[in-house]
Amino acid sequence: MFLFKVENLTYYYPESERPALNNINLTVKEGEFLLVIGGSGSGKSSLARALAGLVPDFYGGKFGGKVFFNSHDLRKMDRRNLGKEIGIVFQDPEKQLVMLSVEAEIAFGLENLGLPPEDMLRRVAEVMGFLNLTPVKSEFTTNLSGGQKQKLALAAILAMQPRVLILDEPTSQLDPMSAEELLNLVKRLNEEMGYTIILIEQRLERCFHLADRILVMENGRIVKEGPAEEVARWEVENSLPFVPPVARFFASLQQPRLPLTIKEGRQALGRYFSVSGPQGGHQPSRQTLPNLLRKPVKKKKVLLEPEPASQLKDVWFTYPNGREALRGINLSVKKSEFVVVLGENAAGKSTLLKQMAGLLQPGRGSVVVAGKDTRKISSRELAREVGYLAQNPNNYLFCDTVEQELLFTLNNLGLSCEDRAVEILLERLDIARYRKVNPRDLSSGERQRVALAAVLVARPKILLLDEPTRGLDYRLKNELGLLLRELAQEGLSVVLVTHDVEFCAEHAARVIIMFDGRIIADGPPEEILNGSLFYSPQMNRLFKGYAQGVLTVQDGIRALALNGDFPYVVQA
Amino acid sequence: MSYGFFYRPKGVFLQTLHPSAALVYLGVLFLLTLFFTHPLYLLAIFLALGLVAWAAEALDAWETCLKVGLGMVVLIMLINPLAVRAGTSIIWSGPEVPVLGRLTISLESICYGAAMGLRLLNVISVFCLYNCLVHPDRALGIFSRFAPKSALIISLATRMLPTLARELSEIKEAQQTRGVDFGSGSWRERLKRYSTIFNVLLFTSMEGSLQVAEAMHARALGSGPRTCYQREPFRPRDAICLFAGGGALAAALCAKYTGAGDYHYYPQLGQLFSGFTDLIFLAAVLAGVLAPVVLSWGWQKCSSLRSKI
Repeated sequence: MFLFKVENLTYYYPESERPALNNINLTVKEGEFLLVIGGSGSGKSSLARALAGLVPDFYGGKFGGKVFFNSHDLRKMDRRNLGKEIGIVFQDPEKQLVMLSVEAEIAFGLENLGLPPEDMLRRVAEVMGFLNLTPVKSEFTTNLSGGQKQKLALAAILAMQPRVLILDEPTSQLDPMSAEELLNLVKRLNEEMGYTIILIEQRLERCFHLADRILVMENGRIVKEGPAEEVARWEVENSLPFVPPVARFFASLQQPRLPLTIKEGRQALGRYFSVSGPQGGHQPSRQTLPNLLRKPVKKKKVLLEPEPASQLKDVWFTYPNGREALRGINLSVKKSEFVVVLGENAAGKSTLLKQMAGLLQPGRGSVVVAGKDTRKISSRELAREVGYLAQNPNNYLFCDTVEQELLFTLNNLGLSCEDRAVEILLERLDIARYRKVNPRDLSSGERQRVALAAVLVARPKILLLDEPTRGLDYRLKNELGLLLRELAQEGLSVVLVTHDVEFCAEHAARVIIMFDGRIIADGPPEEILNGSLFYSPQMNRLFKGYAQGVLTVQDGIRALALNGDFPYVVQA
Repeated sequence: MSYGFFYRPKGVFLQTLHPSAALVYLGVLFLLTLFFTHPLYLLAIFLALGLVAWAAEALDAWETCLKVGLGMVVLIMLINPLAVRAGTSIIWSGPEVPVLGRLTISLESICYGAAMGLRLLNVISVFCLYNCLVHPDRALGIFSRFAPKSALIISLATRMLPTLARELSEIKEAQQTRGVDFGSGSWRERLKRYSTIFNVLLFTSMEGSLQVAEAMHARALGSGPRTCYQREPFRPRDAICLFAGGGALAAALCAKYTGAGDYHYYPQLGQLFSGFTDLIFLAAVLAGVLAPVVLSWGWQKCSSLRSKI
């Protein structure tokens, strides 16, 4: 008996000529954990909306085919029954909370279902207890952290006691700890409480192994479905990026059984390091292990050190509410450096960027950018030297066309408008075809590139990016990383704040870790990420005790090659 | 931005009242302020409001409100004597002014201005205490039974405010880093720059509103008749406060009916006490108004009382 049965589903959004869903056939069993993966615009969210009955009921558009829920045609189901049976949690917690307090928020859906007061009280109490929201039950929802808000959104749906829980990238706006907590909850709901879960997610390293079945979507179609192992192999064979590093690594080794977690991976890896075995636990000895730490490039002797692109000397900063966000920061960023700043929430990362961008002035100490003290020049002058891309690219977009966005920056800064330069930049960012398109009509990844172009068009000497990888899929993240590396090679200094350790391992030339307003680690990624308890990528955890300095899949393959016991063919 | 004016859970007795009891109590204080023109009654209510602010641990917020209100009080006290000529005890006579005639200031008009200023301070204090004592969601919970759509719209709008303020600041920062200088140029140029910010905010809010609507739709809003979540227990303390508020209002009505709460400022200042009954009514009003404050004090000091009410 299938819970969902989708037959030949095709769907066009209003005024769209391209189908968002194209001839989808799918079944979902009761209690199944289904993971839906794919790039931006592949149709994942549209599929989630179709299964939740929001398409075409809420959006309109052209709809063909059938979606059955428990043998009933979904389109003929009463909306109240639909709400009782199917729950959906969206990406952005800010955009799904409607009430002022936690308790009222959880009760909102129950009021809509017309439940009697005693039922509501019981359900609200149970859900708050289960998700540990009781301590904040009277708190204003606006005062909650991002993780708490998303947990509240989940609680509000769970209180409605649906049979199916659809989660559309629920962790995309969360920091890694909150994301982990939410995904663990989802796992519990599936394993301990029997909920049917349909999860759309980009952070695959945390959920790939949880799924009973994985769907891969592309251009509105399901291009592959099967168990995680099978999908991982297929992804690697087809050079697709939507597979976590550990699975990618073993799939490229053509292992008969594919490990999906670090634990399974380390057991499998033991076979290739059978002679030596893991060494020294957390602190492997450099003498006995293959050391992959990339040797530092020997610098040519220069008579005069070039002036740093940005220099912070003993910078302290306190917000008006009394929070001391920066405490004695000393930092020098050189020309062509690609620096990634890691750290937990409220560690001072964004404040650091705002200091470098001149948006905040230090309470004590000095910030010098391109030889100029940020306190002594106007924001307009500073904008010629520093490009700043904030978390939300939408904050940059208001002009009628992409081209006008770039011209807006140039005009403000009094820079000459060279037509060819704009064209080259747009081509480089792969958005030239949208030159005359309204940027608000583009996808989130494309919007981010337009915002980046609007910043880069001023040819700044230093580029600051605040969590640009948030919500991006593997492919877009990799493209962004490659582009930033190219720009750094051409002389631009890049400082990027992120929570994404894998991105950092793949692309950074220098890593800074912040904690409580201080810089607690600063150096090349091979040193900083290697053996770190929390800020180590999956491959590093996999090779812990076997080889030093393994950060990426390629590093892992080299480590095996160095071990000399390498009886397999490397595929990718 | 000061957060003192907004509701913050402090665990004080007055915040634990049922929202209907708290609303009735504050409503009575508001009505009493409007009922009386007698300076003693107004002063007594003012002092009572101060004690309520003390019991609510909201003296800081109350003080800030009074400082803001004091400016307006001074303005009333300046304008009223110049505009009103009904007083007979002239203490200053000024020059002849076209249209207005001779400027005079009477003792009565100054006293009347001061009393009206006090009344204004009382009104401001009631609203300040409402902000500090009643969780807006709990108050909306009561109204949602009678006007669910309006309550939801108010809730959505209130929730949006901090989000909009944050987005506004982020958009301004993004514009600054693209060379927009908000501090220079004529007011017309500045206005144009700010209008750009509001453009971005409008676009972002429109997109956001669609997502919020979708989330509400997915949670079955509008799928049929709604029920109302009742989470507020009604305790003896609520009954006592309602009874005390009702008593104060009844005493005030009696005072009004007998004319004890009235005071004549013009043409000459009347007597502060016209009889013993004036004081009795005043004491009765105060007893009703201060009952929750006394209860709050007892609730803090006496653990057995705490469990009983």
